[in-house]
Order: sequence, then structure tokens, then C-alpha cells
Amino acid sequence: MKPAIPDATQFLATVLRDDIMPQLTGFRAGNVGMAAAMLDMVAEQWDGAAARLHAENKVLRALVARCAIHFGQTPPLTPDEEDLRISSLTRENEVLKTHLIDLHAAIEADDSAVAGALNSEIWDFLRSSVESQRISSANF
Amino acid sequence: MRDITDSALSTYLAKRFPDWRDIAISNLERLPLGASRETFRFDLAYTDEAGAHQDKLILRRDPPASNVDSDRRHEYLSYQAIYGHGVPVPRMILLEEDASHFDGAISLAEDLRGFHNSEYQLQEPAWKDRLPRVSQQMWSTMGKLAAVPCEALDLSFMVPATPENTAMQQLDYWEGQLDANDVGPEPVTRAAIRWLRANPPTPAQKLAMVHGDFRAGNFLYDDEGTLIAVLDWEMAHLGDPLEDLAWSMARVFSFGKDERRSGLAPREEAIAIWENASGLRADPDRLHWWELMMCVKGQAIWNSCAHAWGAVETPFVIHAYAAWWLRNAQDRAILELMGKL
Repeated sequence: MKPAIPDATQFLATVLRDDIMPQLTGFRAGNVGMAAAMLDMVAEQWDGAAARLHAENKVLRALVARCAIHFGQTPPLTPDEEDLRISSLTRENEVLKTHLIDLHAAIEADDSAVAGALNSEIWDFLRSSVESQRISSANF
Repeated sequence: MRDITDSALSTYLAKRFPDWRDIAISNLERLPLGASRETFRFDLAYTDEAGAHQDKLILRRDPPASNVDSDRRHEYLSYQAIYGHGVPVPRMILLEEDASHFDGAISLAEDLRGFHNSEYQLQEPAWKDRLPRVSQQMWSTMGKLAAVPCEALDLSFMVPATPENTAMQQLDYWEGQLDANDVGPEPVTRAAIRWLRANPPTPAQKLAMVHGDFRAGNFLYDDEGTLIAVLDWEMAHLGDPLEDLAWSMARVFSFGKDERRSGLAPREEAIAIWENASGLRADPDRLHWWELMMCVKGQAIWNSCAHAWGAVETPFVIHAYAAWWLRNAQDRAILELMGKL
């Protein structure tokens, strides 16, 4: 799409914030301000969202597989690599993270050195995942 | 939901108070307050046997779906319980629990006008010199609330708690909220929950009425930075007074995007003000437990926002905004508190 979605949404956010919002009061002004902030977030996240999810899913799938194998479980099936829609990548991400939660709990209860190393890997992954989704307007 | 209108309010008040005459509603306006309830302000004029009256009022209405599992009765009784006990709050006037009148229960309270409540305004350069006063006011009022003996308050409508069980009671409740409003896996928050269960805090120093959402943005202040009234008591409960202090320390409420908590004061300064006013000690280990616990509570609420968005015909913008803006920042705060950032 032209103009590019990040450019257009950022411009729309500016219009809402600087032109429309000052003409409103109370609840409506608040809604427009939040809508502008949401458009800013879309502008910031849009372009890299699919690439981020695709890359994260690859790392996560491998991590979940290593943890599953440690417990003698079958790793989750590999999804359709051709489907790069954000909704599909998000679904895959959520399936893998659901597995990760259970495996992380089991890893924490395992005193072995291998489990300790996997625990570190999980925290590294979680930190990396959170940092990659930082929003510039967030308070932290 | 049907709109709140002048005529709907007039009709309701005429039925509720048959001796009122010449009821007139004016300046009805919805306010941009909170994510969990609709808030309106209006002017009321009426005449009764005592003569003519003019009141400025706040109306809050329960929505069909909310990010907070509370109701009008609970908040109304919470305000009533603390009123007159050294923590300034608006006076409650009316509770209508029959949802048929306005498509949701409503409450009316006095409207304290001419003051500010914005947490963002406090970050403007013009307010910089007044922040020490606002900080002193906020955390000393919180400390005063912690010091109020529960026995002096009618809190019979609240879930009972003990100094020994309040921590796990809160953890159970907010984990339940996270489960009930599931919008996707939260591996960081679930790890925090496991840590909290494995490392329970020692019993609370005392039981207190906990506000549950005491932070910049939830109190009125005047031009000098004096706290006028504490608002939004819908999550009030019996519990550990450290809980309010921990909530106010939350990174997601650091509106200055720096080390100042609530966008007002550095952490140690805020704790010192609270300790001085409450007469209690903020034990570092217990405060850390509660800060992490408050991250779980926060994440449960932001997830509930996302869940509420999909649960109603006409969602609130703030539900989507809060979920987008806060979920990742909340995870970062958890990572920091767990030493993993």
C-alpha cells in the first residue's frame, strides 16, 4: 500500500492529536487521544511484526523442542512455514508459549544441570521476546 | 447500553424521590476517567419541603463487561466506610442497584470540581516545583489509610482476610482473573506466579483497608499540589497495607518514564514518606513480594481489558489502548523484579 502504512498511520495520529483532539473535551477528547496513541503503536510495530514473529517462532520452536526432549516428550509439530499472515504466526506463537509455560514449570522443579541450562535459555528467550516488543511510548 | 440522558435521569429521580419537584438536569458530560466504569458529571436542581437545592454530582455506571470484577455496591460502601476517617473522599449520595433503570447499576456522589486528577499534567514543566508536595500528599495519605484501624470501619461487606492469608488470597484471586480473562499465554507472568507461591511473605504487620488502585491519576489535587480526595475505590479490600505502597511503585505507572515512582518521587523517598505517615515499616523482602504480586495483578487487569474488548457490542477505546500499551511494559517490570532484565 502507498503511502506506506507506518507513514500514513503516524500522520493520522498527528492529525487526531493536534487538529481534532483540541476541539473536543472530556470523554471524546480522551478517546481521540488514545486512538492517536494506538495509531502510533501500529506505525511503530507494523513493518517488523511478521518478521519478528517468524524469527521468534523459529527460536521458540527449537527451545520448546529441546525442553520437551529433555523430558522424553514429543516436540510440537512444525507448522506451515509458507503461512506468514500475522494471525497465523501469532497463533503458532501462542501454541508454543503455552507449551513453554508447562515446560518451564517442569524445568524449575528439575535439579539437573541440563535443566539449569535450559532454565537460563528460557529466561534469555523471554527477555529477548519482551525487549523485541517494547513500545517507545511505554512508561517502562 | 442506552445513553445516560437528562430526561432519563430526571425521570428516575422523580420516581425515586416523589417529594422532589421541578427536577432539572444540566451540563451532563461523560468524563474520561478509568477503564472499568463509565463516569458522568451533571448539575441537579430540585425543590422539596426544605426549599430549592442545587447540587453538582458524579454518576458512575457499571458496564456490561469490565476489566475489573467489582460492582457499584462494593465501591459505594468502600467510600462510605472510609469517609470521615482522615482520608479525604467525596461523599456518597445514592446507590441504585436495579440495573433496569440505566442498563447497569449506578451510584451518585458529590462532585468536587475545580481540581485536577491528571497524572500526565504532573509531568509538565510547570508542575515540577510542586511535585515534592504532591508526593508528600500522596504517600502520606496512603500511609494514613494504612494506619486506620480496621475495627473502626464498617468493612463487613468485604471478603474477610487475616494477616496470614491475605498474600495468598490476593495471589489466588488475581491468578483466577488471569485464567478467567485469558487472551493468550503469559509465560513471564506465570513464572512470576510460581515464584510468588514458592516464596510466600511473612504475615502482614497489620490488616488495613487497602485502596487497591492508589496512584497518580486516582486522586484530586489543587493548584498548590494539595491532595483533595482519593478516588476509584472499586478494588478496595481488606489486606496488607504494603499492597498499596507496592502498587504505587509500579514501573507501568512511572509516568515520567524515569526512576520517579508514579512520576512523582524516587522509590526510597516515597517509601520514607509512607513509613513516617503509617507508623509501619516497609520490610524490603515483603515489599518486593508485593511489588511482584502487583505486577501479576496489573497483568491480569490488562488481559481483562483485552478480554472485555471482545466481550461487548460497543467496546471502550481504553480497553484496547490499555492492553496494547501496558502488557509488554508489565512483563518488563516483572523481569526487572525477578532479576532477569
